[in-house]
Amino acid sequence: MPSSQVPSIAGTALDPTAVRPPIDDAEIVRVAPAKLHAKLEALRAGGFSLLLDIGAVDYLGRDPRFDVVYHLLALATSPSTVASVGVPRRVRVLCGVGGTEPALITATDLWPNADWAEREIYDLYGIVFTGHPQLKRIQMPHDWEGHPLRKDYPLRGPAREATPRPAFALKSNVPAGTPPAGNVAAALQKRIALARGQRTPDGAGEKS
Amino acid sequence: MSAAPTVIGTPLDVVDVKGNSMTLSMGPQHPSTHGVLQVVVEVSGEIVEKAEMEIGYLHTGIEKSAENLFWTQAATVIERMDYLNPLGNALCYVMAVEKLLGVADHIPERARAIRVLLAELSRIASHCVWLGTGGIDLGAISTFFYTFDVREDILDLLEQSGGARMHPNYIRIGGLNGDLPAGFLHRLDALIAKFPQRMRELRALLQNNPILRDRMIDVGIVSGADAVAWGLTGPSLRASGIAYDVRKAFPYCGYERYEFDVPTRDDGDAYARFLVRLDEMDEAMRIVSQVRKELDAPGPIMIADPKIAPPPKETIALSMEALIHHFKLVSESFRVPPGDVYQAIESPRGELGYYVVSNGDNRPYRVRTRPPSMYNLQALKLLAPGNLIADLVVMIGSLDPVFGEVDR
Repeated sequence: MPSSQVPSIAGTALDPTAVRPPIDDAEIVRVAPAKLHAKLEALRAGGFSLLLDIGAVDYLGRDPRFDVVYHLLALATSPSTVASVGVPRRVRVLCGVGGTEPALITATDLWPNADWAEREIYDLYGIVFTGHPQLKRIQMPHDWEGHPLRKDYPLRGPAREATPRPAFALKSNVPAGTPPAGNVAAALQKRIALARGQRTPDGAGEKS
Repeated sequence: MSAAPTVIGTPLDVVDVKGNSMTLSMGPQHPSTHGVLQVVVEVSGEIVEKAEMEIGYLHTGIEKSAENLFWTQAATVIERMDYLNPLGNALCYVMAVEKLLGVADHIPERARAIRVLLAELSRIASHCVWLGTGGIDLGAISTFFYTFDVREDILDLLEQSGGARMHPNYIRIGGLNGDLPAGFLHRLDALIAKFPQRMRELRALLQNNPILRDRMIDVGIVSGADAVAWGLTGPSLRASGIAYDVRKAFPYCGYERYEFDVPTRDDGDAYARFLVRLDEMDEAMRIVSQVRKELDAPGPIMIADPKIAPPPKETIALSMEALIHHFKLVSESFRVPPGDVYQAIESPRGELGYYVVSNGDNRPYRVRTRPPSMYNLQALKLLAPGNLIADLVVMIGSLDPVFGEVDR
């Protein structure tokens, strides 16, 4: 059904059993957080050897609030021709996670490339992966506050202005919370203040 | 090893010194990191003991921006992820949305053929950048001029078709922005005729070049099992002997109609990845010349559904219906039925995927990218330890990361 101009009321994204068009893109598995790791392990043993991606979706207002989405591909480790690869199966594992401190068990022990994907979800959604070797921010600066891809983190408007701006800091080699220091930071703050037409400590920018 | 030399002042590059090992920060402005990658390497002499990568310097929040734009507008920011293959990004996202709309089977044949043509031309252009910059990494500066000559011809074609060299926003939901302009096919023919000679020159210059072979053979070896475990896709996976190509395994856009081979190598080193990409350029041109034969006959390039396709400009002043549709499309765009879909294409770097969620609104609820560069680059943690710093440069180049996509 192409594009009705009337918004669909039933089966919106807030509904975990949303009616989706019949699209044959992957086999879909939904698991509870407690069974997630065992399920992923079983899938890996069952031939789903390649972890394509881990993503997340914030269904604000739903319980559980987040869906963490794993895409797996069943690829043998030695198919040297196109014919022997054939049509590998795809599976999408959806895991709902919510609560005030959403947490899941890491998949880095099963697939080493889950490392960055999980760090990104932690960074942008604030979902903790227990057992992850070094869970820290990856895309945002290390001293950033908040998780930008959450639906209640506004992109613009008055609410965006109200969210705390993080202090300027170099992205790496600076532990979170370190105040800006040195000539570069001072010069930068001076320039920002000048641009805003504010007074700076040495009086520059003062309107005569 | 002799004692560490006395250092005067504070050396900017040295982060830490412990006994014989030293922690260095390479990048993010280092030219051989192909963008803004910072690698914090722990070295003992010339040998890398540990490489810790820091990404995110080019994070522009594209996924967040896309959630706040109309379905059609989101394609413009999504194109900016992989800036060496903008049409591939747009193609993948647009196909995902078309699947959600349920119109994927109604895209006109000519539009699909032109999409394949542009995707393959982009692949060649992208590999040209990889080969040119990879050559510079190894000291082969003249390669850059050879490859950028070919790339310039392709960018001219993209500019002619979409109106911009890098981000034409030519592929639209439902088809294409417009038909190919007069003179396009003539220039395409000229490129098809010129290309084999260019490839012969490149191969003569590089393939058996002793310096390049010395630098690349047995550097950065990935076994097939490791490649799968680390989620490598694209040429990096195929250089480890696994013939997985999305175009063959999950054909899209009519790729099943064209004849082409999937080049593979078994060695898994940087040289194998180099050869796979060179062969891929030839295969891409093979597809281009097959598509070229279908383009003489005219045909529609946009779906007929007026709720998705904007009406032709000439009709707006004459038809009330067209005016209303145009106004609606511009002011509030169209709505997409609720659901989620995963769509993948074979980008020059590997499996590029979009997981798109709609809640029935006129904006995407979530656009999650499966960035091939990010997963490929991550394998550097496996490759780097135990090798020379100089080889690190070769390894990064051979994985072909694009930071617009790694950081998004």
